[in-house]
Amino acid sequence: MKHVVVDPITRIEGHLRVEVQVDEGSGKVTDALSSGTAWRGLELVMKDRDPRDAWAYIQRICGVCTTAHALGSVRAVEDALGITIPKNANYIRNIMAATLTVQDHLVHFYHLHALDWVSPVEALAADPIATANLQNTALNAYKLPFRAPGASVTEAFEHDFPAATPQYFEQIKNKVKAIVESGQLGIFSANWWDHPDYKLLPPEVHLMAIAHYLEMLDKQRELVTPHVIFGGKNPHPHYVVGGMPCAISMDDGNAPINTARLDIVDRAINMGRSLVNNYYLPDLLAVGAAYVKAGRVDGGGMAKERVLGYGAYPIEPAAGTTNGAFFKNLLVRCNGVVEDFGKGLGAAKVYEIDAEDVQDPKVFTEGVEHSWYEYPEKGEQDRNPWDGITAPKYTGPKEGSATEWKALNENGKYSWLKTPKWRGKLCEVGPLARYIIIYTKAKKGMLGDLTWAEQMMMDQIGAVSKVLNLAPEVWLPTMVGRTAARALDCQLAAEINKFFFDKLVANIKSGDTKVASSEKWDPSTWPKECKGVGLYEAPRGALSHYITIKDGKTDNYQCIVPTTWNACPRDDKAGHGAYEMAMMDTAVKIPDKPLEIVKVIRSFDPCMACATHMFNAKGEKINVITTDPYSGTHVEK
Amino acid sequence: MDKRESMWDLYLKKGMSRRSFVKGCVALTSLMGLGMDQVSRVVEAAEKKPLPVVVWIHGHECTGCDESFIRSGAPLASDLVLSQIALEYDHLLSAASGEPFEAHLEETIQKYKGQYILCVEGAACTKDNGVYCMSGGHTFTHTLRHAAENAAAVIAYGTCAVSGGIQAAKPNPTGSSGIAHFAGKTPVVHVPGCPPIPEVMTGVVMHVALFGTVPPLDGEGRPKQFYGNRIHDTCYRRPFFDAGMFAESYDDAGSKAGWCLYKLGCRGPETYNSCGNLRWFQGMSYPIQSGAPCIGCSNAHFWDEGAMSERLPKFAPPIGDVDKIGAGLAAVTAVGVAAHAAASVVQKKKRIADEKKNEGAGE
Repeated sequence: MKHVVVDPITRIEGHLRVEVQVDEGSGKVTDALSSGTAWRGLELVMKDRDPRDAWAYIQRICGVCTTAHALGSVRAVEDALGITIPKNANYIRNIMAATLTVQDHLVHFYHLHALDWVSPVEALAADPIATANLQNTALNAYKLPFRAPGASVTEAFEHDFPAATPQYFEQIKNKVKAIVESGQLGIFSANWWDHPDYKLLPPEVHLMAIAHYLEMLDKQRELVTPHVIFGGKNPHPHYVVGGMPCAISMDDGNAPINTARLDIVDRAINMGRSLVNNYYLPDLLAVGAAYVKAGRVDGGGMAKERVLGYGAYPIEPAAGTTNGAFFKNLLVRCNGVVEDFGKGLGAAKVYEIDAEDVQDPKVFTEGVEHSWYEYPEKGEQDRNPWDGITAPKYTGPKEGSATEWKALNENGKYSWLKTPKWRGKLCEVGPLARYIIIYTKAKKGMLGDLTWAEQMMMDQIGAVSKVLNLAPEVWLPTMVGRTAARALDCQLAAEINKFFFDKLVANIKSGDTKVASSEKWDPSTWPKECKGVGLYEAPRGALSHYITIKDGKTDNYQCIVPTTWNACPRDDKAGHGAYEMAMMDTAVKIPDKPLEIVKVIRSFDPCMACATHMFNAKGEKINVITTDPYSGTHVEK
Repeated sequence: MDKRESMWDLYLKKGMSRRSFVKGCVALTSLMGLGMDQVSRVVEAAEKKPLPVVVWIHGHECTGCDESFIRSGAPLASDLVLSQIALEYDHLLSAASGEPFEAHLEETIQKYKGQYILCVEGAACTKDNGVYCMSGGHTFTHTLRHAAENAAAVIAYGTCAVSGGIQAAKPNPTGSSGIAHFAGKTPVVHVPGCPPIPEVMTGVVMHVALFGTVPPLDGEGRPKQFYGNRIHDTCYRRPFFDAGMFAESYDDAGSKAGWCLYKLGCRGPETYNSCGNLRWFQGMSYPIQSGAPCIGCSNAHFWDEGAMSERLPKFAPPIGDVDKIGAGLAAVTAVGVAAHAAASVVQKKKRIADEKKNEGAGE
């Protein structure tokens, strides 16, 4: 038995460490530990802030899924204050959300995940002519032809197409060769390039994917221009409680939004559709099909047992979350929990999630058994977000010192993440969860007439099942399935982007240019105390924000974040979280080079800054650090 | 293998012409905010200086600065990372993980001692010996101190690395601060912003790479070329301020017409940054152009300066009634502008007073 540590896990957001016990004979992982190793305490910072500013503070949880927390926050505050946003604001926010999903998934696949599958070293053996042929084959075999029905056509042809000429691939190959031969490998330094997994794919796939890695590094920036138009910048675009700040006028030359500005948005949306259809999906399916063919249908873990979603994209402005309006108005009704999907559609069970669930103190709770926090009462009873407790209790590692770790303590506390639960059970969230929930609900006839987006999800699953020649129950809850579902989610979001852009244009055409509601802007119009919930299906999964407003100030602010669900430490009753289960469902060939482990972890697209947080305590004294930000912090050497 | 290559070497290797090399240098010159008379110096620097080694480390952060960096339009991220610098260590983009990756960091520090550029994203966590920010089994501050002391220069990217940022906002639960006092004698360039503008980020690293020295800095360690102007002074909506034409609420007629956002809490008058001149995405927009007041994200402690919707001088109004700064009233406008200059001073005084009050209460 070998104890293997990977710290830091790179190509993610934030600080993550994993430790696994590997049986060297069989390659089986007998125990796995996932630890969020940093904590910033942002919920504590929220105390007493103006709720109208909460989006700006809480957006700084994460700059990778930038916009996600801002959106969760404005929704929570608007729910608390009873604000319904104007139609245009709803469409624009949906465009910003879909834009984030498209860009974030694309960057994840090419820049954060691809180097687990393909290697620049292998690409050196590729024949440029054969690679050009492969590019053509992949485009023919792996293009999924799905589009939002009735969407406007605003481009003469697809401007963003992969090059499929030998000269192009020769050039890329020469660049890779120059880097390798220079000895200065830069970002390609020190990886386990000699791992046998890199031999699973022919050299031409490696060269094609490396070429697209470079292309997408240049293109990704152009995908987020809708954030720059509507929110002024990216990362961290601006929002406003009550709608959006970007006033619309076709009569003013200086207006934030006019036709010229909308054209920039439309161009980015068209580009997103082309990039996902012509690059991302063909590449993903070429790589995924090879892995499945080689028998790699492992790494599913929790996905086979329990997944959770809140539902996505209010088609028209929702008049609140806690009153149930949000759930009645969704383009993708993935609100619910699906259990035992891995046992087949017949055995799978579905539980709806509605407005009562998200407020019920018994349904959603968080535990701290293995987290570096403590609760005051004995037995560390799980607590509902509404009355979470703030008390860090750092206990250090099992081996090593408080500031120099050798091994963390799987029997004690070992992570800055809490352990979130749905009815006392752990769940996986993310694009894979969304696809499993919609597929199961639709097949069981629970959705009635499908929305166009839900129908597209079913069609996507059907098409991929054909390519892989496997049933959805088999390929979806796997490491490959998790990565594939993200690509499908990207294609869906690119179409949803177009759908809401068309709605925005049609609404402006009808004469409605309202983009923000100011009726309840003044705190004197607010109740003395109120509570709100904001829900959002972020790129990494189900996100919920909870706010309590008292006397015009933020009294309590909390989030349950996708990566907290997935990366949480174990619970003595409920078992392991999704990262730990996925690692334990993955075979490791060479314990000293655990490429399979980092690959399955990255299939979740970890976002640790989002995950590590703690809840504000009611009435608990918060220590004020004496660090003086103006005269500087004194550091002992 | 030890010899680092110059940009010109790379152009030669790629089979690119002298003409395209010089064109590249011209683009860089303008990118760095230098006059065209400086092109020859840039060409000279690009011919001779070796490809700079860059190490990028993360403290208490959100990776938004990394993300901004790869949004750069000129240079493009691919050109920058694969041809103009050797990015040997970066948690976001590097292929490697775990032990070999940490060993590579140490190798890089030893091999390029005193030569590499250290980029730091995120705040330094100081409370309880820094245990709230661990990476690779060490505290971040341990890695920071070691990597900074051996670097040629440190670039503190983002308001977190410059002055602690969001996690240092009250009550600063993890004792977070800027990173400068961990850098020993190594020069530190402060590049604030939440995040900084993409081309500002790449511009600073290119300046250090090409000229072998940090760019000219102001009194707060910020590159003058990017932080020399207040947003207010470079704002395309400034004429509306001078004419007394203001948006009074979101989505009103003034908002639609693109009038000044001063009354909605805009911090442009107190904020030094390039949003007004460079703007975001190569001139495409910046928050004010999109109808959102500036939140002053490049100011050291902007998170603790009161509600964003309130004007800063609410506490001690130095500007007077802006409604009186009417069209054509040049004299009144001049008073308003002068009062502006006073606003940041007043604000600082108020901040210091607050600090003292809070410190007293905490004891």
